[in-house]
Amino acid sequence: MPTEQELQISPIVQESLMHNSRILHNLQSLTASLFGVSAGILGLESYSGFLFYLVFSLLTAALFYAVRVAPTSLAAGKAPLDTSRYFKSPFEFWAGGLMNELAGFILTWTLFYGLVRA
Amino acid sequence: MTFLSRAITAFGGLLLAHACYSAREHTALQSLRAASTATLTSSATVATSLPVDIVLETILSTFFVLFGLVLGARPLRPIEWRVWAGKIEREGEEGFTDNSGAVDKDYMGNPFSVLETRPNFVDIRKQRREFAEWVQKRGAEPTH
Repeated sequence: MPTEQELQISPIVQESLMHNSRILHNLQSLTASLFGVSAGILGLESYSGFLFYLVFSLLTAALFYAVRVAPTSLAAGKAPLDTSRYFKSPFEFWAGGLMNELAGFILTWTLFYGLVRA
Repeated sequence: MTFLSRAITAFGGLLLAHACYSAREHTALQSLRAASTATLTSSATVATSLPVDIVLETILSTFFVLFGLVLGARPLRPIEWRVWAGKIEREGEEGFTDNSGAVDKDYMGNPFSVLETRPNFVDIRKQRREFAEWVQKRGAEPTH
């Protein structure tokens, strides 16, 4: 976490921060519903469904990193898997969607499970 | 870019819908078969899992849609002020476009433009001299 002094030396643009997190949030909520659809079609139950969600969410973050973050971040001399050029905390980027979008995942998961198995 | 991402997403969605329909038909067939065998031989129903091709189709279509959505996500902006301002200075509007090439609505340009164009910085004497020279030059030229 950056200290007060570091923030004074290199300030942060709030608009860009909000812009980036909105894009990430949009992507995560869309893909969480998508994973729910797939888990429902596959007929996954209990732990395997949550494991499916965990794996695919991490995959989403990795893919997003590779497509949107890595080309400019690596060119600017950041270390691999470092998202500090676009996001404040790495936790928000890699695992922020896991808890926030779980409800959407379960919604579509149960819906499609019921549709397919009924 | 936007066309490519939309095409991939649509293709994945089509595959996903097909997989969903296949899974539905498979379950319906299973329950029908179980019902018919139960009346004939009264054997226990065999719970079969989904065929491997439907499983593969579902996972592949999920990958396709995911890839299309990630490709279609709008470009990010640097959050550090110096990186962001440097990008504006170097690239201008071109650095702040979405996938289809249109400039973002909230793009506001150079953050220091207020300073650079403030009236105190206008050299009014120089402008007056330039104006006088321009008038003289017009006066020297033959008028038609």
